[in-house]
Amino acid sequence: MAEAITDVQRGFEAALPELVAALGPEHVLTDFFHRAIRTTNASPMGLHLWEKLLPDVVVRPGSTAEVAEVVRIANRHKVPIVARGGGAGLADGATPLKRGIVVDIKRMHAVLEIDEENQTVTVQPGINMQELNKILRPLNLWYPDDPASYPVNAVGGRIGSGGWSLLGAGYGHVPDLVLSMEVVLPTGDVIRVGNGGARKIHKSSTGYRLKDLFLGHQGTLGICTEATLDLAPRPEAELPIFFATESYADSHRIIGALGRSGLRTIAGIFMFDQHKVEFLRRDDEAWIPLPSWVKSAAATILYGTRAEVEAARDVVFEIGGSLGGKYMGTEICEGDWASRHDRYHLAYHGRANGQIKLMSWSCEDAAINYSALPKVTREWHRIAADLVAKHPEHFDDWGMFTYTNGPFRAWGDYLTEIDIGVNELEMTEEIWRDWVQAKVDIARISVRAGGSVSAAHGGQREGEVDVSCYEELAEGQFDLMKSIKRMLDPNNIMNPGKYNLDEAYPGGES
Amino acid sequence: MSPQLSLKPFYTQRVEGTTIPDPIVKDCYAVFACRHKFCREVCPVYQDDRDEAHTSYGFHSSLLAVSKGMGTVGDLRESITNCLECGACELRCPNTLFAGDFYGSSTTTVDLVRKVRRDLVAEEIGFERYEEIVSYIDRFLGYFTGPEEELTRWAEGLEIPRSGESILFVDYFNAFETTDVPRKAARILQAAGADFGILARPGATLGELLDISLETFVEHARHNVAQLEAAGAKRVIMINPHDYTYFTRDYTAHLGELPFEVVYITDVLAELLEEGKLPFTGETARGLLGKVSYHDPCTLNKICGINASPRKLVASLPGVDFVDVSPVAQWSYCCGKGNASFKKLHPDKSYKIGAKRLQAAADIGAQQLVVACPHCQDQLTDVSSRAGVPVSPVHILTLVAQAMGLDA
Ligand SMILES: Cc1cc2nc3c(=O)[nH]c(=O)nc-3n(C[C@@H](O)[C@@H](O)[C@H](O)COP(=O)(O)OP(=O)(O)OC[C@H]3O[C@@H](n4cnc5c(N)ncnc54)[C@H](O)[C@@H]3O)c2cc1C
Ligand code: SF4
Ligand code: SF4
Repeated sequence: MAEAITDVQRGFEAALPELVAALGPEHVLTDFFHRAIRTTNASPMGLHLWEKLLPDVVVRPGSTAEVAEVVRIANRHKVPIVARGGGAGLADGATPLKRGIVVDIKRMHAVLEIDEENQTVTVQPGINMQELNKILRPLNLWYPDDPASYPVNAVGGRIGSGGWSLLGAGYGHVPDLVLSMEVVLPTGDVIRVGNGGARKIHKSSTGYRLKDLFLGHQGTLGICTEATLDLAPRPEAELPIFFATESYADSHRIIGALGRSGLRTIAGIFMFDQHKVEFLRRDDEAWIPLPSWVKSAAATILYGTRAEVEAARDVVFEIGGSLGGKYMGTEICEGDWASRHDRYHLAYHGRANGQIKLMSWSCEDAAINYSALPKVTREWHRIAADLVAKHPEHFDDWGMFTYTNGPFRAWGDYLTEIDIGVNELEMTEEIWRDWVQAKVDIARISVRAGGSVSAAHGGQREGEVDVSCYEELAEGQFDLMKSIKRMLDPNNIMNPGKYNLDEAYPGGES
Repeated sequence: MSPQLSLKPFYTQRVEGTTIPDPIVKDCYAVFACRHKFCREVCPVYQDDRDEAHTSYGFHSSLLAVSKGMGTVGDLRESITNCLECGACELRCPNTLFAGDFYGSSTTTVDLVRKVRRDLVAEEIGFERYEEIVSYIDRFLGYFTGPEEELTRWAEGLEIPRSGESILFVDYFNAFETTDVPRKAARILQAAGADFGILARPGATLGELLDISLETFVEHARHNVAQLEAAGAKRVIMINPHDYTYFTRDYTAHLGELPFEVVYITDVLAELLEEGKLPFTGETARGLLGKVSYHDPCTLNKICGINASPRKLVASLPGVDFVDVSPVAQWSYCCGKGNASFKKLHPDKSYKIGAKRLQAAADIGAQQLVVACPHCQDQLTDVSSRAGVPVSPVHILTLVAQAMGLDA
């Protein structure tokens, strides 16, 4: 083990001057703070682990050629390399586990081509989606990938995590919206993958579907340096409709009925469980005054032409009202929808024994079939309750959201997430182990319910990763992943340690 | 008075040695804990250099990393210069936006940046190019110790008394570098029939001091408050929005509640307009060419929340074709000069941020960009002469004076 570290260090020392020669000293950053702030993504890590995870260097390439050169240097010297986009992922994908080089791609943020006729845009991966849509707006075009983290993600990070969009039921998710891309492979070779070999085609039967391999690999197979994305016309009308309900069961019935309604204007359906409503009542001015019978909420967002949305609205009101939902009023509907990208988490949300305690937000997401949602919800909260009972100063159950998960459809399966406050500042190794075990238990419940460990973020954080690889992907998929990884990345330089893929290499068996 | 972001006493105390005090660790953690990085995307510096070290997230997390022993404050001597002190990140942070009032927990990046710079100076480490700031401060402090009549030379011939219930507070930048601004303010107020005076010997209001020496800043603050009280001020009219933030945020933090009201000139003029005391004759709208937009000074808009009165004035100018950009959309804009030291520390970035601001105005078809701050005027005039963007900056007081038929 000690020898392996020495090898990496030696490799790094040889690589450093080559990196400086390739990018210029101003884009090769070794100061501690440059490395420290780029160690984290948006999920809790326990500050006791921070220093151990610092990369050796941060580089900021400005072109595909520079990325390829950096990768070739890393490959030659067998130095780990981790791509970083917005750094707002929730699967620790951008956190280097084995030091090495962090490739911050945010300088590459150009829009290379807007094809108005065929409704596509070609961009560099460091562009952020809000930035992109600002440019597209005057053309009445829209890139409809709409995660709650919309203002802060980079397109490259969305690709690396194979992201999920709040509007996926209407407009598709990242894997549907990326038409083709350029990828620098771990050897430094540059390839293009798409639907077949075309750049702007949505469906092809030519060749293997290799594009999918490069969506959601968490930076383990390559670095995307250019992507061609599908654009939608800006919809004429937008209408969020929220219903307050007396119980989880009522909300669950409403979202099921809305999903099966056949309305094509539905771009997403979601619900808040009882814990989430209680959590919002802590400090959210819109939710505090709601009457005490409100225990849950079910909601939908409609997009389309004005005529379509108006017609759909009547159907939605009929379904919601007949199943016990009370319309929450325009103000809260529009306000809540408008703030979907903004509010998420504050450290001050945390409570320990009724007192404010600074905590960070952990979001455990999974893809679960409609019928299994109530059971999964109950079991997840039980795990959270046990954890809070054991460590009341360190964890806090912030409730659950559930959203439609399938692309271009509002039925079938749902992304569900449990939000848990984690006191990172006072974390100890012993408590961290209990946390990791809780994540294992949460992931296991998803798989046993016939679901998938992650719908949006990636199933590779400590704990859940074992359930992903050894339980969910057990029927030959994990073995095939290892073969592919070894083939594309002979020296295991790309984001090593992720998805247990070290097992693909001699000496890496767990 | 404007709403204020929370003021945290621990950012005014000096950190001795290498240990970061616990309240600062917690405050930095409250930003680090989020890691959503909304602050990053709204930051004008980040938009130029795309380096997340130069953002609220970057500064707070760097200091948190120092507290964990990963480095020293001295290592931040270069990165800490990359902040305009514009306040955008403070507003965009969910800690401020969603629960700042509820928990009294707003994010205060500007105070943190100033504190780190000051501590570096106190430790004799300094920060990159800080000597430039020191010599600028020395030049301006020279005015204070120089002949008294120089401080009010800008007002020559206007016959303004040196006392009054309303005092027009004229800082050194306006008095010496943009003399036409205070002159126009005075002429407009006189024409509107307002009674006001000025101070015979105002003290320095240099924001640069907040980056270098808090003691000197507070010394001058005391002097100003005492002078204003002695002059009988019940209401102090500011014509430099930077000063407005110092008075309302920093003076109150250090000296407690002020014994007078502090108002910004655009609020005063909008009030006079409403009362029918600003006669816009119409024939003098010759300063207006084509479409006109308004630039929110960071200090006024982001730090003090004043953005309605300047728009009201611009929209009321005779013959104006006003294309507006909302104050929230302008959180990510800055003229590039920064609240105090930035332009002197980073002339190149400052220029690029300013050119981008002018280009944004050009993109919406504006030919003139109205400013309400002498620093914005100075900076954008400088940038427009170099950038070749066909947008010219013009001070709001110039337009109001012209509309009233006043020549300075
Ligand atoms: C408040 C909040 C809400 C969220 N809501 C959602 C949501 O609704 N839906 C959702 O899907 N996710 C959500 N997330 C998680 C979300 O941020 C990620 O899924 C997102 O895709 C990460 O993008 P990023 O640019 O921040 O990537 P990073 O965190 O920088 O990286 C993510 C992964 O992609 C890899 N990567 C980065 N750039 C490249 C590249 N150029 N080529 C190859 N790989 C690369 C990284 O190595 C890493 O493994 C949320 C996060 C937050 C903080
Ligand atoms: S105050 Fe302005 S320049 Fe400084 S970090 Fe915040 S947004 Fe950026
Ligand atoms: S300053 Fe605010 S938005 Fe930025 S990372 Fe921090 S808490 Fe988040």
